Amino acid sequence: MSGVDKHRQKVLIVDDSEMNRNILSEILGGEYDIIEAENGAEAVNILRKESVNISLVLLDIVMPVMDGYGVLAVMNSRHWIDDVPVIMISSDNSVSSMRRAYELGITEFISRPFDALIVRHRVVNTIMLYAKQKRLVGMVADQIYEKEKDSSLMINILSHIVEFRNGESGMHVLNVQMFTEILLRQLVRQTDKYNISKADISLIGKASSLHDIGKISVPDHILNKPGRLTPEEFEIMKNHSVAGASMLEELTLYQDEPLVKIAYQICRWHHERYDGRGYPDGLKGEEIPISAQIVALADVYDALTSERVYKKAFSHEKSMEMIMNGECGCFNPLLLECLKAASEAIEKVKAHNSDENEKQRENLALELMKYEELSASEETLRLLDYERMKNDFFASVSNELHFEYTTSPSMISLYPNNSNMLDISELIAYPVDDERLTSIISMDEIKKLGILLKHTSPDSPVVSYDCKACLNNEIHNINIICRSVWNSKSEFCGAVGKAADLGIA
Amino acid sequence: MTLKECYAALEGDYESVLSRLMTERLVQKFALKFLDDASFNNLVKNMSESNWDDAFRDAHTLKGVCQNLSFTKLFSSSSLMTEALRDGNTEEAAKILSQVKADYDQTVSAIKELTAL
Repeated sequence: MSGVDKHRQKVLIVDDSEMNRNILSEILGGEYDIIEAENGAEAVNILRKESVNISLVLLDIVMPVMDGYGVLAVMNSRHWIDDVPVIMISSDNSVSSMRRAYELGITEFISRPFDALIVRHRVVNTIMLYAKQKRLVGMVADQIYEKEKDSSLMINILSHIVEFRNGESGMHVLNVQMFTEILLRQLVRQTDKYNISKADISLIGKASSLHDIGKISVPDHILNKPGRLTPEEFEIMKNHSVAGASMLEELTLYQDEPLVKIAYQICRWHHERYDGRGYPDGLKGEEIPISAQIVALADVYDALTSERVYKKAFSHEKSMEMIMNGECGCFNPLLLECLKAASEAIEKVKAHNSDENEKQRENLALELMKYEELSASEETLRLLDYERMKNDFFASVSNELHFEYTTSPSMISLYPNNSNMLDISELIAYPVDDERLTSIISMDEIKKLGILLKHTSPDSPVVSYDCKACLNNEIHNINIICRSVWNSKSEFCGAVGKAADLGIA
Repeated sequence: MTLKECYAALEGDYESVLSRLMTERLVQKFALKFLDDASFNNLVKNMSESNWDDAFRDAHTLKGVCQNLSFTKLFSSSSLMTEALRDGNTEEAAKILSQVKADYDQTVSAIKELTAL
């Protein structure tokens, strides 16, 4: 690393022995800014505030309050371990404890007594490796994003050309795509019989934009005829499904592309009916590919709720009723259930998209939604950091006490001004055993609140709790409002909340 | 007394510590700092008050510091102490404590000779 870096990288040294911390900072201090923590709880508190800014953690195992394994457990549950490398330093170099540490995500294990040069080399290498990886992840994410954006854009331009000729608003293609994706997500929730993955949903959504490309082959005077079509004209109109499919079939070079395969199904069969009375092939029931079944339903819903040269727009309720009564074709009963279940989301999208101003914002949200599977890049971490700064600020200007509680390890964290006010540490490990905390609120009250929280459910996650607290040697009434938090496996994992002082009791 | 002589007096491994920490200046700096290290006094206190968990951590810390500084003699008695406390063998630990005390005194007086310079 060059010495001209304005921002030196930060290394967090966690060791209960001041001597050991001093030796390590002496070894590394020339190249890095050093932050020290004398136990695991302190380390967690520092990481909580600035995990984004810390390039590496040097971690001891045996420490009071919270040991090294405890720190690793928190770093795992908060996903800090994905971005902040940890080197463990310990004299306990038994295979079992080294394995345990590696399983908890450490990058390196250094045994005591350590050699200054080796420590320095490992620290430098690990930091460079992580920095390089972060850069690469960022580059890959950006490129995928750009590529995806471009290809979505191309497909949209293409299908808008068709729409444009049709004299319809360009919103139809976008609506059908969004309804298709909503319906697919609902379908996946209701059944696994079609074996549809997240990637499939995005692919079918994209391909749905092409459902009407065959209309290019329909002459203007038929396509835009305001009155009723003659039987001959209707035959020509109906031919758009086969025409679209054969256009795709003639792309000989790309026949194996999943997008082309799916688009073919959609183009050809989006006017089939579940009872077998549709066109062009009269396919029946599950003979019709699920992609085409879904797009057909999305297409009909959007046609009903939009104004056309030959009709006015129907309301959401009226359109739903017409579809359910079989007035607009015959659909898979399972898909009708999905439409009912997703009715609210679909209506919302329709309302938003009608408003041109909302369009771009919606697009962006949609675009962003597609990338949720990409790992948290640095940008997300910056955003998190921003959110944290915001929370800290609001907490600091409020008279109420804001806190976070996690169950494993059992810990309460407060914001700095609150903790100063109460003369209590910012991070309280094992709250029921904390002397200072229990001198303010009795252990019984804390336990009762804990039990109430444990019995909340995602449907009613909020607990309001009145109790007494000892502030400045006087008994006050306080009200605590908490909201429980569940992890991705739906296990209760803590709460966020605030406490308000209601005055002397 | 030179640093090398000091290490001989406290029965440590001067060659080893010098090769690991690289300069005599650093070794001397941390050897002197050892006089301020609280883990031994905490260990004695926690042993007398039967705070076994805390005593274990103190012994462990003392052991770690000695290991880093290559205070071989004090390292080996504090290691024994750590293991006895880890196993919950408090009687054994109490016996070893006198050896740790003797080694600690030997180490500290050797370092104090260094400051007398």
